[in-house]
Amino acid sequence: MSVAGLAAAVCQTALVVVVAPFVVGLMRWVRARLEGRAGPPLTQPWRDIRKQMAKERIVPATASWVFTLAPLVLVATAVVATGIVPFLTTRSGLDEIGDLFALVYMLLLGTVFLALAGLDPGTAFGGMGSSREMTIAAVAEPTILVAIFALSVTAGSSNLSAIVTSTLDHPSTVASPETMLAFAALAVVTLAETGRLPVDNPSTHLELTMIHEAMILEYSGPDLALVELAAHMRLVVFLGLLSNLFVPWGIATTTHPLELLAAAGAVCAKIAVLGIVIATFEVFVAKVRLFRVPELLAASFVLAFLAVTASFYLA
Amino acid sequence: MSETLFVQLLDLAVGLVLVCAFVVLWRRGLGAIVHALTVQGVALAAVAFLLGVHEEHAELIGAAALVLVLKGVVLPRVLLRIIRDSDETREVEPFVNVTASLLAAAGLTLLAYATSRDVVALDPGPETSAIPIGIAVALIGFFVLATRRKAVTQIVGFLLLDNGIALVAFLATAGVPLIVELGVALDVLLAVFILQVLTTRMRAKFGVTDLNQLRELRD
Amino acid sequence: MTAAGVGLTAASVAAGLAMVAAIAAPRRLRVAAVGGLTAASAAAGLVAALAVLTGSGTVAATMPDLLPLAGVRIELDALGAVFVVAVAVVAIPAALYGIGYAAPRSTGHGASGRSVQATLPLFVWSLLMVPAAGSVSTLLVLWELMALSSLLLVVADHRHNPAVRSAAHWYAAMTQLGLVAILLALVVLAGQAGGDSFAAIRDGAAGVGPHARSVVFVLALVGFGSKAGVVPLHVWLPRAHPEAPSHVSALMSGAMVKLGVYGIVRVGWDLLGGGPRWWGLTILVVGAVSALFGILHALVATDLKRLLAYSTTENVGLILIGVGAAGLFAASGNRALASVAVAAALLHVVNHAAFKGLLFLGAGSVLHATGTRDLDRLGGLARRMPVTGATFAIGALAIAALPPLNGFVSEWLLLQALVHSLPSSTALVAVAMPVAVAIVALTGGLAAATFVKAFGTGFLAMPRSPEADAAHESPWSMRIGLCLLAGVCVALGLAPTALGRPLTRAVAVLGPLADGRPVRADGVNLELAGIQATLSPLLLAVGLLAAIFATLAVVRAVRSAPTRRGAATWGCGRSVQTARMEYTATSFAEPLQRVFDDVLRPDLDVHVDHRVESRYYVEAVRYRQGIRDAVEHRLYEPVLRAGRWWGRTARHLQDGSIHRYLAYIMVALVVALVVAR
Repeated sequence: MSVAGLAAAVCQTALVVVVAPFVVGLMRWVRARLEGRAGPPLTQPWRDIRKQMAKERIVPATASWVFTLAPLVLVATAVVATGIVPFLTTRSGLDEIGDLFALVYMLLLGTVFLALAGLDPGTAFGGMGSSREMTIAAVAEPTILVAIFALSVTAGSSNLSAIVTSTLDHPSTVASPETMLAFAALAVVTLAETGRLPVDNPSTHLELTMIHEAMILEYSGPDLALVELAAHMRLVVFLGLLSNLFVPWGIATTTHPLELLAAAGAVCAKIAVLGIVIATFEVFVAKVRLFRVPELLAASFVLAFLAVTASFYLA
Repeated sequence: MSETLFVQLLDLAVGLVLVCAFVVLWRRGLGAIVHALTVQGVALAAVAFLLGVHEEHAELIGAAALVLVLKGVVLPRVLLRIIRDSDETREVEPFVNVTASLLAAAGLTLLAYATSRDVVALDPGPETSAIPIGIAVALIGFFVLATRRKAVTQIVGFLLLDNGIALVAFLATAGVPLIVELGVALDVLLAVFILQVLTTRMRAKFGVTDLNQLRELRD
Repeated sequence: MTAAGVGLTAASVAAGLAMVAAIAAPRRLRVAAVGGLTAASAAAGLVAALAVLTGSGTVAATMPDLLPLAGVRIELDALGAVFVVAVAVVAIPAALYGIGYAAPRSTGHGASGRSVQATLPLFVWSLLMVPAAGSVSTLLVLWELMALSSLLLVVADHRHNPAVRSAAHWYAAMTQLGLVAILLALVVLAGQAGGDSFAAIRDGAAGVGPHARSVVFVLALVGFGSKAGVVPLHVWLPRAHPEAPSHVSALMSGAMVKLGVYGIVRVGWDLLGGGPRWWGLTILVVGAVSALFGILHALVATDLKRLLAYSTTENVGLILIGVGAAGLFAASGNRALASVAVAAALLHVVNHAAFKGLLFLGAGSVLHATGTRDLDRLGGLARRMPVTGATFAIGALAIAALPPLNGFVSEWLLLQALVHSLPSSTALVAVAMPVAVAIVALTGGLAAATFVKAFGTGFLAMPRSPEADAAHESPWSMRIGLCLLAGVCVALGLAPTALGRPLTRAVAVLGPLADGRPVRADGVNLELAGIQATLSPLLLAVGLLAAIFATLAVVRAVRSAPTRRGAATWGCGRSVQTARMEYTATSFAEPLQRVFDDVLRPDLDVHVDHRVESRYYVEAVRYRQGIRDAVEHRLYEPVLRAGRWWGRTARHLQDGSIHRYLAYIMVALVVALVVAR
C-alpha cells in the first residue's frame, strides 16, 4: 500500500462525500423538470444537511445505544465502501483491503444497523420499514453475488481494480452478453438497494408504502443529516460501481494528481449521466407492490445467472 | 466484417433471443409479452443475417429477411389483434408463479448447456457454442405451453419453441435451404391462424380464453 | 512427552477431578468447582491442539489394556486439532458460564444436581477426545460416551418441563440410529482395509474395492450427518437444543455437531483417501439444502433457541458446501481450489463454534433473566442487560457474516473458492457453482434478516411482557463467558491471517484435498492459493473505526452547541406508544415468509367474528399461524405412524392368556422344526 495510493483513496472519498448530495439534487431537479415543476436547486440536499446539523438532537426515550451508533456506522460503511471502489484510479491504496464481496458485505453492515435502528424506538412504522428493508436486502443478495461471480469470471479476480483493468485491457468485453447481462442485473439491484422506484419511492412519506423513510422516522437533527448523507453516498457508490465497472474509460491508471483530476471529471460526468437516466426512468414507472419486488429481483437474479452461464460457455 | 466483431454481434443477438424468452416469462401483460416476442424475432433475423454475411451465403440473408417479415411484423400483428379483440390483457394466474417460472427457466438453461456440451465439443466455434441457447429457448417455449393459461400465451409458447428450433438450425447447419425455411414459416403462420380461429371460437363459447376451460369439453 | 501429550493428559486429569468434585464437593461449592475444573480441562485441550497446530509436536499413544480386544489409541493430528480448538473455544466459556447459570439459587433449572454436574465434564472431555481418537474402536467408544453424556444433559430439566422428555426421545432415537450407521461404516471399513487403527486403515484403503468404499462413505455420511444435523436428519436439533440447559446447548450446537463434520471429512478424505465426483456433489447438495432449509426455518422461528438451532443446521450446511465443493474440485483435478474450499470449511467450523456458542449463552442469559425464550414476549433487553445485549449483538453480526467479524472471513473464503472454479471447470462444476453461490448468497441475506429479527425484537425497543420488563443482568461468571466468546469472534475476525499456517497443516492431513498453502498472510492481507483476491479484515476494521471517529469529530466541529434531548417516541404523532404497537418477531419475518410461502407452507388460521347487526362490522379477528417442519411432517410422521400402527397391532398378540403364550411357543417350535428339518 503506497502513500500516493492512500492519498488517492482519501481524495476519492472526499470527492464522493462532497459530490453525493449534488447528485441527489440533480436527480430531484431532473425529475421535477420532467414533471413540469421548477425543481429545487442542486444545492438543496447540502442545505438540508447543513440545516439539520444545527438542530437539536432528539432521541426517543425507549431507544438504546444502537439508535445512537447506527448513523455513525452507516456513514462509516459508506466511507469505507467509497475507499474501496475505484472511482478515480485503479491504483487506489485501499483496493487490496477488500474486493467486491467485502464491499457488498460492508454495505450490508450499514443496512443491518439501519434496520436495527428502525426497530429500536419501538414504533410500528420503524419495524415495518426494517422488516421490508431486510426482505429486499435478503432477496437482492443472490443477484449481487452472482453478478460479481460473472464479473470475476471475466477478469479472473473479484478485486475491483483487477476487473476495471481487465476491461481497460480488453475493451471488447464490454459488449459481450455476459457483461451486459451482469450490468442489467446490477442496475436492477442498484434501484432496489438505494431505495429508488420501482422498489421504494424516495419522495414518499405515506406511511404504508415507505421503506427507507419509515426506518429513519425517529431521527432528527445531526443524526438525520448523517443518515441522509450516507444514503446519498450509497447511491453514488452504486452509480460509481456501475459506471466504472462497465465503462471504465477515463479512470486513471496511475496516482498522478493531474490524471486524478481528469478522472474526477470523467467519473462525475458518468455518474451524472446515470443519475439523469434513473431520474428520467422514475418519471415513467410506478412503485410496484412490495410482494412483486421479489419477482423483479428474481428477474434480475436470472439475468445475473445467465451472465455467469454465458461467461462459462461462450468464452 | 472482422472475426471478433462478428463473434461479438452474434453473441449479442443470441443473448437477446434468450433474454426475450425470459421476458416472456417475467411479464404479465400480454402486450408486453408479444413485444418481447417481436424483439426476439428481430434478433433471430439478425442472427441469420450475421451468419449469412459472415459466410457469404445469399440464401441465409434471404431467410433472414423472411424471418424478419414473419416474426418481426406479421405474427406480432396477428397476436396483437387477438389481444385487442378479446378484453383480456393480462396473464393473471399462471400455474407456476412468476418467480418460480424464472428460476425454473434458469434451471432449464443450465440443463440445455449441460446436455449440449458434447454437441458443442464436436466443432467448437462461436456459432456452435451458442447452440445451447437455441435449445434453452425451445425448452422455455415448452415451459410456457405447459404453465400458462391464456390462448395468446399458448401461441407465444409455440412460437418460442419454433424460434428456438430455428436458432439451432441456423447455428448448427449454417442455415437450412431457403425453401425449407419457407415451408416452416408457412406452417407456423398457418398454425397461428388456426390458433387465432380457435381462440375466437373459445371466446364465443366460454367468454374467456383460459385453455384450462377446455377440460369442460370432456364431459 | 510432547506439549500436546501433556495437554491431553492434563485435560483428562482435570475432567476426572471435576467429576470427583461434582460428586464429593458440598452443594455450595459444587457448581463453581465443576465449572472451573471443566474450563481448565478444555483449556488444557486447547493448549494441546494449539501445540499440534503450530507444529511443535503431535501426539500418538497406545494403551492396549484400557479396552478389551482392541485397546485405546490416541492420535491427535492437525485436522483433529482444528476440531479440538472449536470444542475448546466453546467449552471454556460455557463451563465458566455454567457456574452462574446452574447455580442452585437460580430457579427452574435442574442443572445443579450431582449427576448433571458430573456429566458435564465427561461430555466436555469426550468432545475433546473424539477428534483425538486414533482407531475405530476408540472413536466408537468415545462417540457413544459423547452421545450418552449429552443425552443425560438434555434431560437435566425433565422434572419441571415435559417438553424435555419428547426432545430427549427424538434425540436418543436419532443419535442411536446415527451410531448404528457409523458403526456399520467403520466396521466395514476396518474389515476391508484390514486394521483397527487409522494408520492401518490409511495403508489398506487403496485396496478397498470401489463399491465397499461407496458403501462406507454413504453410511458415514448418514451416521455423522445425523450428528451434524443436516437435512433431513436435523429433526432432533430444533427439539433438543431449546430444551437443554443453555451452556449445554452451546456445547452441543457449537462443538458436538461439528464432530459430525469431522467424521465425514476424516472418513471420506483421510481414511478413504477421497473418492469419485459424486461424493463431493452429494455433500454439496446436502449442504446447500441444509443451509437454505435451516435458515428459512430460523427466519420464521420465534423461540430464540429454536431459531439458533435451525441456524446451526444452516451453518453446518455452509461448512458442507465447502467440503463438498472441495471434493468436487479435487475429483476434477483442481487441488489448489479444493484446498481453499476445505480451508474455508475448517475456518467456519471454528468461527461457528465461537459465535453460535456466544449466541446460545446469550439466549441462556435471556432465559435466565426473563424465564422465556419467546421473541414475541421479549424486547428492551439491551438497556436492561447491557453486557448480554452488546455481546449478543456481536454474535448476531458475526453470524450474519458481516465485516469485520469472523463469520465474514470464512464466508469470504468460501465464496472465493466457489467463484474461481472456472478455468478448470467440467460441466458438472460449471453447473453446480453458480447455484452454490446463489444459495450461499441467499442464505447470507436471510441470515442477516434472521439475526436483525433476533436482536432487534429480542433486545431493542420496548419490553413486550412484564417478565422482559423486569429483566436483570446476569451474574459475573455468565458475563465472563459471554465476553470471552465475543472476544474470540472479534479476534478471529480481525486477525485471520494468523490462521494461515495452522489451516495449511490441517488441510495437509487430507491428502487428496491438500495443495501447498491455501491461505497465506501478506502482512495484514489475506491471500489465497491460485486466486487473485485479497482481503484485509484488520484494515477494514481500522477504516471503519477511523471513519466513525472522523464523522464524530466533524459533527462536533460543525455543531456550535451540541444539544441532545430525550423525548417520547414520535411515531408520526402517536399520543400513546405501547408495546402492543411494536413490530414483533412474527410480523418482522412475515414479508419474507410470504416470499417463501411455497417452501415454508405455513398453516394459517384467520377467524373473523362479525357483529350481529351487520357483517361489515368486525367484532374480533383471531389470527393463528404455525409453521411445521416439512421434513418432519412428510418424512418422519408417516414412519412414526407406521411404527405406532405396528405396535398397536402387535399388542393383540399379548392378551394375558397363558394358554395363548404356550401356543405361541408350540407354533414357534413347529416352525423351527419345519425350517430346520
